[in-house]
Amino acid sequence: MSGTLELRGLTRVHAAGQPPALAGFTLDVPAGSCVAVLGPSGSGKSTVLRLTAGLDSPDGGSVLLDGRDLAGVPPERRGMAMVFQRPLLFPHLSVRDNVAFADRVRGVPRRQARERAEHHLELVALRGYGDRPARALSGGQEQRVALARALAAEPRVLLLDEPFSALDTTLREEMHDLLADLRVRLDPTVLLVTHDPAEADALADTVAVLDGGRLQQAGPMRELYAAPASLAVSRLLGGRTEVPGTVRDGVHSSVLGALAVPRPVPDGPGVLVVRPEAVRVTSPADPAADATGTVVRVRRRGLRALVAVEVPGPGGASVEAELATGEELPAGRTVGLVLPVADRAVVPPVDGTPSDAARSPISHG
Amino acid sequence: MGLRKDPRAPHHSHARGGALHAGHAALAAWLVLPLVPLVLWAAADRWTAPAVLPQAWGTAGLRDAVDAGAGTGFLRSTVLGLVVAALATPLGAMAGRALATHRVPLGGAVLAVLLSPLVLPPFAVALGLDVLLLRLGVPSPVGVVLLLTVAALPYTTVLMRAAYAAHDRGFEDEARTLGATARQTVFHVQLPLLAPALAGAAFLAFLVGWSDYVVTLLVGGGQLVTLPLLVASAAAATGNEAQVAVLSLSSVLPPLVLLVAVGLVGRRARA
Repeated sequence: MSGTLELRGLTRVHAAGQPPALAGFTLDVPAGSCVAVLGPSGSGKSTVLRLTAGLDSPDGGSVLLDGRDLAGVPPERRGMAMVFQRPLLFPHLSVRDNVAFADRVRGVPRRQARERAEHHLELVALRGYGDRPARALSGGQEQRVALARALAAEPRVLLLDEPFSALDTTLREEMHDLLADLRVRLDPTVLLVTHDPAEADALADTVAVLDGGRLQQAGPMRELYAAPASLAVSRLLGGRTEVPGTVRDGVHSSVLGALAVPRPVPDGPGVLVVRPEAVRVTSPADPAADATGTVVRVRRRGLRALVAVEVPGPGGASVEAELATGEELPAGRTVGLVLPVADRAVVPPVDGTPSDAARSPISHG
Repeated sequence: MGLRKDPRAPHHSHARGGALHAGHAALAAWLVLPLVPLVLWAAADRWTAPAVLPQAWGTAGLRDAVDAGAGTGFLRSTVLGLVVAALATPLGAMAGRALATHRVPLGGAVLAVLLSPLVLPPFAVALGLDVLLLRLGVPSPVGVVLLLTVAALPYTTVLMRAAYAAHDRGFEDEARTLGATARQTVFHVQLPLLAPALAGAAFLAFLVGWSDYVVTLLVGGGQLVTLPLLVASAAAATGNEAQVAVLSLSSVLPPLVLLVAVGLVGRRARA
């Protein structure tokens, strides 16, 4: 059932004279894997899905399914099914006939299509809902039916366009569990689009970060967290600390002092980024401390607190750190900061073109 | 199933419900009251001035109406209304769709042209075009249908434009990715979703054909004797009020029946 999807240099210009919505986008989605395209709104991530589904045609590049170029193939013959953010259940059909839609338009007899629909409703834990009108469901149920309807089409690639973004947190987590469960049972190839790093992290094997229509970085989420390729990636993943400085011989010099960088970085100006979870707050006298500063702001984040520490110096620098569970620090306290070497990353100073390494397609899911 | 109530619909408070019911009653009275004397006249063999109710009941009015050609007139009006609806509804739907999706250059100007039959006096248009149609050798029934279709287009276009503007193209994208061809998408998704609007547009177009007098008289040249022509000639002639009442009723009732049918289609689609 599941196919291998390859996107090669996809480019789409919505209107002449405007910057392209998508520029030279390349991505591999191996059979049976789940790849997420992560980006802020307007980054071109929905365009990726529309071009893949054949709802829009690219101005450049190609979509390959199991090695076959899909140029000119209409959406209904691509073997893909899409679930949108809105459930889009056909209001004139019952829940069962919605799920049976793909079979019916393929000419499967009504009786058989309905039996198969019942089976797919069971897959999304909605057994017995078949007779209801499509409008008599809650938001979460609607999206489950939309998922069942897409699965019933037995697509070679399942396309998900922010399918859970409109649901509240609890329902969204339920849907994440459901999708994980369906992946184990059906092994579909999934291309997911989302603006939520947590969702990408929870569902996808690999993540491609898209910003301004260009691929910024692709790889496993852990890798993106550890070594973001650009400020855009760092910010999108919730990075808050950005310390400008200069790199020389693998050492970043800034207000924080000279800090060794774990990965090779070209010499020249660079911005040091480090995730708040990685920063350890200690006493100013601690010999392990990389820098000292003053707590200027405390923000609650569940059981943990997020503190902003101002490090004095020319230009100054603000470093954000997440405290251990239950730990408290008042604003105004002087503290020491430990930035573990492995968690330091340096990105190019201006938010511009990513390095060539970041452009390379994902090699494996 | 179709008429089941939406469980999420808000409950009206009693006060609001009461006001609503009073409003409905007033509206019903407004529509039904003028029909009462018509019904009485239709069944009156004799009804002279001071009497509150007819003095003699009977079917003389019905007999006279049938003799005057009410049966064939009814049939002609029905066919005329249906033909106009069958032409103006798909045309209006196509024009409305094009206008709503902004695929028409100078859409505003195009809409103004389509709406112009509402503004121009039908008498002048019919007289002017009559000459043109005669010169072109267009048979008069065809001319009547053509003109009435143009007269019905503003209604169907405006209605369908609003319907297409509110229509979510996402449903069609979804259907396509699920394997429906463009044609299947139109018949299995787009048309069912737009059925209430299409029924409304067809109803309005039917009414244009059904109730037309001026165009049928001038362009039809008296050959196409429809119900409105019969009503007018009967009303203009000597006082056979019973016959006029029967003819009037027979031209009022079919639209009423259709209206209820259209309402039911709309309710089923919203349920």
